[in-house]
Amino acid sequence: MMNPTPADFGPESSGRMKGVTVVKPIVYGNVARYFGEKREEDGHTHQWTVYIKPYANEDMSAYVKKVHFKLHESYANQNRVCLKPPYEITETGWGEFEIVIKIYFHDTNERPVTLYHELKLFQSGPVAQLGKTLLVTEWYEEIVFQDPTAFMHHLLTNTHPISTTPWVHETDFEEKKKKSLEGIMKGKANIRDKINELKEN
Amino acid sequence: MAREVFALLYNDKKDAPPLFPTDSGQGYKSNKAKLGMKSVRPWKWMPFTNPARKDSAVFHHWRRVCDDGKEYPFAKFNKQVQIPTYSDAEYQAQLVAEGWTKAETDHLFELCRRFDLRFGVIRDRWDSAQFKKRSVEDLKERYYGVVTSLAKVKTGPGLPPEAKTYHFDAEHERKRKEQLLRLYTRTNEQLEEEQMLQNELRKIEARKKERDKKTQDLQKLITAADHQNEPRKVDKKFPRKKFTATTARPRIDNLSGELSSIKFPDMKGSGVTVRSQRMKLPANIGQKKMKAIEQLLQELGIEANPMPTEEMCTHFNELRSDLLLLYELKAAMTNCEFELQAMRHQYEASNPGKTLQIPKILLPDPPEGATSEEANATIKTEIIDVVGSPSHSTA
Repeated sequence: MMNPTPADFGPESSGRMKGVTVVKPIVYGNVARYFGEKREEDGHTHQWTVYIKPYANEDMSAYVKKVHFKLHESYANQNRVCLKPPYEITETGWGEFEIVIKIYFHDTNERPVTLYHELKLFQSGPVAQLGKTLLVTEWYEEIVFQDPTAFMHHLLTNTHPISTTPWVHETDFEEKKKKSLEGIMKGKANIRDKINELKEN
Repeated sequence: MAREVFALLYNDKKDAPPLFPTDSGQGYKSNKAKLGMKSVRPWKWMPFTNPARKDSAVFHHWRRVCDDGKEYPFAKFNKQVQIPTYSDAEYQAQLVAEGWTKAETDHLFELCRRFDLRFGVIRDRWDSAQFKKRSVEDLKERYYGVVTSLAKVKTGPGLPPEAKTYHFDAEHERKRKEQLLRLYTRTNEQLEEEQMLQNELRKIEARKKERDKKTQDLQKLITAADHQNEPRKVDKKFPRKKFTATTARPRIDNLSGELSSIKFPDMKGSGVTVRSQRMKLPANIGQKKMKAIEQLLQELGIEANPMPTEEMCTHFNELRSDLLLLYELKAAMTNCEFELQAMRHQYEASNPGKTLQIPKILLPDPPEGATSEEANATIKTEIIDVVGSPSHSTA
């Protein structure tokens, strides 16, 4: 590891770099697979994996210290911690619930950020539970580091690729982004027109 | 009995009542009042004279022995009003006045001296057999006139120091008394009428206030709409004001209207945040508006949680600000139309047989069949027409 220790930055390490913004896009969500039947022993129907991973091909452990996943209270030890990638938890279950994901950073001056993910097991729609297809529910998100500490800034800008193969996601986010942005722009123009119309009336 | 009331009968500690009498006082013996131990100062029945009296009559009263020989203490309350005097020469030089003879003036001053300027009494004792009847104001006017004139030429005993500046305004005094008399002699009907008129006035003022408030809100909304787009329609808005309100109201451009834009969190502070926080609707806009925005988004086919890139956040937030503005404008519009209709009904009810012609531009929708281009054109000409003759709106 080439990560320097905080000592390298001395007492200045908590000083913030004003005006600097670092954005780290991430993807979080879950995949779920139906057993095809209800399991006898515990009534579970699905295996699922909740995860958080970088949007770009980089090793998040450079700046992420650990990731907490807080599951439903019916699970044995509902708080799960991942200290290194891949940041994911695989479990079986029969119901959907909200998972609280908390990301801690190496620099303790930066407060952890929290994400909330609705675990999704069932396809909404008529194609539900067709065999053992994989159901993917994931979201794009951006972590914004406003005025990061010098130490944090160093960690954020010195990352390494996590895999040598191309880094792809289940969801085509670029396409999705393009489409929704188009939709929003169109909607905006539409509404502005309507406002103008209403004013003239 | 309620438990709470029952509990009040006892103290909080729930102590058992004491078994032994615990009266540590003096029993039934009551304490004597503790009075001063000095010897009593003796009193004596003695004669005295009152220096305020001129007849030096001698009376008796009880008095402390130690006070013997001192002046009667109440004599100092016998205050004498100093009434100025004048000689014949002075009267001829200064005090001749129309309507007053010297004999009458002398009589007035004599009474003033006798009754210590109690003008009510003076008027009562006025020698009306010898002189003509005079009102209190007449007497006062003459008296103070004489005193002021005398004060100008001489100083001396009997002239109060403020005599030079004191001016008795008889005219004002007469009016004041007349006013009071009228107020006092009002009839019951007059009283009731006044009460009624006051109530009406209050009602009218309340209505006016309400109307002003409404029009101001509307103005803010319009201004917000103008701010958001290019301000090319501002000048056209002025004539329209004449329709919506008859009362004077603030000009549009004075109002800083950012009424219907949403204040999204700006996330300017340092630290780590998640970008999607920027798209959170602030809680203060309220459930109803949130629902409306949600519904409008659905109608537009836009997902409620788009990918939170910076660009997306900006546009999405702007879109929702606009949606809210549109929603509020629509609501205001409906409100105005409703009020307009209500006014028309009111008008027609109070003037049977007449119909209120509502100018076309105030009607909700442009005529069917016309393309929006044409509709806009007609509206514009209407507005220009109105600028030329605002009076026709009240037809």
